[in-house]
Amino acid sequence: MTNISRRSLMKMGGALMAATALTPSLSFAQAASINYWHTFTSQSEQAGLDQVMALFKAAHPDIAVTPENIPNPEFMAKITAAVVSGSRPNVSMVSSERFRDLLAMGALTDISERVAGWERRADFDDARFASISLDGKIYGVPAFTFVDWMYYRKDWFEEAGIAVPTTLAELYDAAVKLTDPAKGRYGFGLRGGPGGQNPIINMMEAFGSPVLHADGTIGLDREKAIAGITYWSDMAKNAAPPSAANDGFRQIIEGFQTGQTAMIYHHTGSYQDIASKLKPGVEFGTMAIPAGPATRVARLAYAYNTITSDENADASWEWIKFWGEPDAAIAFLEKTGYFPASTTAAADPRITGNEMYKAAAETLGFGIPQPSFPGAAGWAESTVLQAFQRILIGEITPEQAVDEMIAGLAEATA
Amino acid sequence: MSRSLNMPGSRPPRTIWEAISPFRLIGELSETRYWMYLLLLPSALLITAVVLYPTVYGMQMSFREMRLNRPDLGNDWVLFKHYVRMINDPIFWVSLRNTAVWVTSSIVLEFLIGLIAALALNRDLPGTKLLAVLILLPYFLPNVVAGHMWALMLDPRMGVINDLLLKVGLLTEYKAWFADPTTAMAAAIIVEAWHSFPFFTLLIMAGLKGIPTDLYKAANIDGAGAFAQLRLITLPMLKTIIAAAVILRVIGLVNSPDLLLILTSGGPGRSTQVLSLYAFQMAYKDFNFGYAGALSVVMFVFLMLFAWAYVRLSKVNQE
Amino acid sequence: MAQTRSGSKLLWDILSYAIMIVLAIICIGPIIWTFLTSIKVEEDIVTRDMVYFPTRFTFESYVKLWNQSSYPVLVMNSLVVTSLTVLICLLTGSIAAYSFSRFNFKGRTQLMLAYLVVRMFPAVLMIIPLFIVMRNIGLLDSTVGLAVAYTSFLLPLFVWMLKGFFDAAPKELESAARIDGSTRIGAMFRIVIPIARNGLVATCVFVAIAAWNEYLFALMLTTSQGSRTWPVGLQLMVGEFQLPWGMLAAGGMISILPVIILFAIVQRVMVAGITAGAVKG
Repeated sequence: MTNISRRSLMKMGGALMAATALTPSLSFAQAASINYWHTFTSQSEQAGLDQVMALFKAAHPDIAVTPENIPNPEFMAKITAAVVSGSRPNVSMVSSERFRDLLAMGALTDISERVAGWERRADFDDARFASISLDGKIYGVPAFTFVDWMYYRKDWFEEAGIAVPTTLAELYDAAVKLTDPAKGRYGFGLRGGPGGQNPIINMMEAFGSPVLHADGTIGLDREKAIAGITYWSDMAKNAAPPSAANDGFRQIIEGFQTGQTAMIYHHTGSYQDIASKLKPGVEFGTMAIPAGPATRVARLAYAYNTITSDENADASWEWIKFWGEPDAAIAFLEKTGYFPASTTAAADPRITGNEMYKAAAETLGFGIPQPSFPGAAGWAESTVLQAFQRILIGEITPEQAVDEMIAGLAEATA
Repeated sequence: MSRSLNMPGSRPPRTIWEAISPFRLIGELSETRYWMYLLLLPSALLITAVVLYPTVYGMQMSFREMRLNRPDLGNDWVLFKHYVRMINDPIFWVSLRNTAVWVTSSIVLEFLIGLIAALALNRDLPGTKLLAVLILLPYFLPNVVAGHMWALMLDPRMGVINDLLLKVGLLTEYKAWFADPTTAMAAAIIVEAWHSFPFFTLLIMAGLKGIPTDLYKAANIDGAGAFAQLRLITLPMLKTIIAAAVILRVIGLVNSPDLLLILTSGGPGRSTQVLSLYAFQMAYKDFNFGYAGALSVVMFVFLMLFAWAYVRLSKVNQE
Repeated sequence: MAQTRSGSKLLWDILSYAIMIVLAIICIGPIIWTFLTSIKVEEDIVTRDMVYFPTRFTFESYVKLWNQSSYPVLVMNSLVVTSLTVLICLLTGSIAAYSFSRFNFKGRTQLMLAYLVVRMFPAVLMIIPLFIVMRNIGLLDSTVGLAVAYTSFLLPLFVWMLKGFFDAAPKELESAARIDGSTRIGAMFRIVIPIARNGLVATCVFVAIAAWNEYLFALMLTTSQGSRTWPVGLQLMVGEFQLPWGMLAAGGMISILPVIILFAIVQRVMVAGITAGAVKG
């Protein structure tokens, strides 16, 4: 049915084109011309990309890269349309949580052989490829890393005589101690709004209920998940600003920057933003995510570059592996604050010599990838976050919330 | 005289050029029985060419298994599976209720403010022109900007509205408007009404200009008061314009989740979750196009029923 | 009697002013705030001590916006798409509206509803098939393609609104013209359209604003190399890991500027239309 209507539409379209006598203004003149879909939008990210492109152009004058920026919220819609209609870009940036969805859609190309023969392969730990591989096949090259960590108000901690927490129990105590609504101060800038799903899942895992078990099976352990959710919702109720249920990225950062909150949970990508308002090492510090009763959960998420079209695949390969060059990775870090994925680049003195990055370097040692299965991102965003918010507004209990999450997970993976 | 009455426009051509002139041909065509359909043809063709296939495609999805991230499930026809699921889906019912609240409150607010503003502006008092531009300004702002700027003004930390309310004593501390289920919806509706009421103002203003002033003069002589004039002259004369505006706004409100996406993303919990947002999330977060398609078809059917009933009840097409 | 009338007129005048001024303040307040935000330094925006008036003025946000966004190209694309959309709507939509307004034919109500159907299926779910259609007819990533897509969605709005205005134009003048030997089409262009000129302009303004501010289709159907429009460029300024308030506000101010200019021009035409139309029943 689809085919027939598509063909008749093409005829119709031909007539329309003749009528308007207009041809599309796309040009594919150069053989080695590739387009690159990415989600860099902020000024620093854009500057970083420009830097990498300039370096690439010097190294490969014969390959023209055309970048195409797409806002993150609409990225999946646009790439889905491109895949379904068969007009994919040559190279696309894929974050780890999107890997399985895109692979299932058939958007990605197996590049195991190219990666195996890559002269820089030894610069990367095998773990770097874990969130872009399935059944031994590799589909992308890591471009940079998001390392989970926390920011805390060093001056407040010192003033109150509190040590930097190393366990979740200590974290809770410190947060409660630093909370004083009368002064407009809260211990923890908890992200209960858009994007807040990842810490929630991490808490369940820290209390002993991972979503994805070691053997690859999917499921939550009800009792342990409830313990994790209870912990996190208590944190929200007793140590977070009343706006927690709607606080997204912008709000938690602004709350921390303006001196409303003592701690926030984010990744290395926001470092430059925080450091532009507060003095690093004096007013604020960075710490690794504290350990939970069962395990210590901090995620290492990667942005990968993937080949999404067979056309000009050789040129695409040159471009995506170029991000692994230490020069490119460091240039990108300096503009954005995003951590290199390459071990060689991460050993650069510009990183190891910076005290503020110590927590991130430490996390690289024990950090784990995000749970990855088709539907993971959707379940986390719509079911988990929504259920958690309903606890915060008093609609349901943590027990009911976990039941909702379990049911939603069953549905997503059915 | 009687000849031209019977066959208007069909006097014989004076020259050969006039006989084959396209203007004349169209003029003659305009006298045929099918003229009204011919007038509709270009727009109907354009709409059909662009929109028919996408709409039909979207509808057939709702009867298929279509989870783009689960190719293992295939793309088979599943008949009413998604619709059955919907009946048992509590989020669907919550979204339906929220949609009703969101659309009804917004439309009532927008219409009332729009009408009052148009009536006041239509009196053509000195200075009205400037005030008109100011009042219409919100509508010119793109959704992205309007949404984010209101988010900033209502921000629980640095929002100017909190600060103002605090200063006049209506609040004792900054309020997190979008973190509280009762105020989240209300705040979103107010932002929506602020942004879109000029749609009604502009339309009603343009309509008011077309009402013959004699009607009001006559009513004045008959001693009809202002409200009677509004009820007996203004509103009936604007009937079709208001009907069109209401239908178009309702469709817009039901179908576009833009503003809510920026302000609340449906939260906290499910308190501002509406059908359009739910369908969007189903499609591009869960990649379940089958279920998203079914949600869209339901929205479509509701809108059809509404438009049909509304056109019937408001008697738009009766002279 | 006469005195009470002028007395009540004064009362209504005062009430009208009160309404207009209150509404104007409500409408303009947030926009003034947007403007103030656009000329503030970041420290005056992200702060817990409310800063009403900037401690120091800066036009840095505007400069950054200008340098980064290739604003002239984006605005040019937006202008082309908007004009094309209005043009196609005028050409195809005004005659359709006329037909619905002046002829009472079989299936009219159904056909009018059919036009509305186009807008009833949520746009978010039409994106993918629409993308396929545009690709197949070779109009992906072109201003014409975007204008055609906009037109198909804005035509219902155009036709429905214009029909309302045509309905309000008295039929007597048209009949008189027909009696004088004018063809139907002649009467339409010479009599009905000039009378309904206000409505026509108002309707075009709506279509223009809708096309000017549209975001989702513009993003999906164009690329940065081709015919990307201003709202998409503006959204791209708003990064995910930072929200530069100053730039967003500056973007908002810049994007309403062309609309205000257009409106100033149009308002003059509208006023002229009222006097020229001379409809006194």
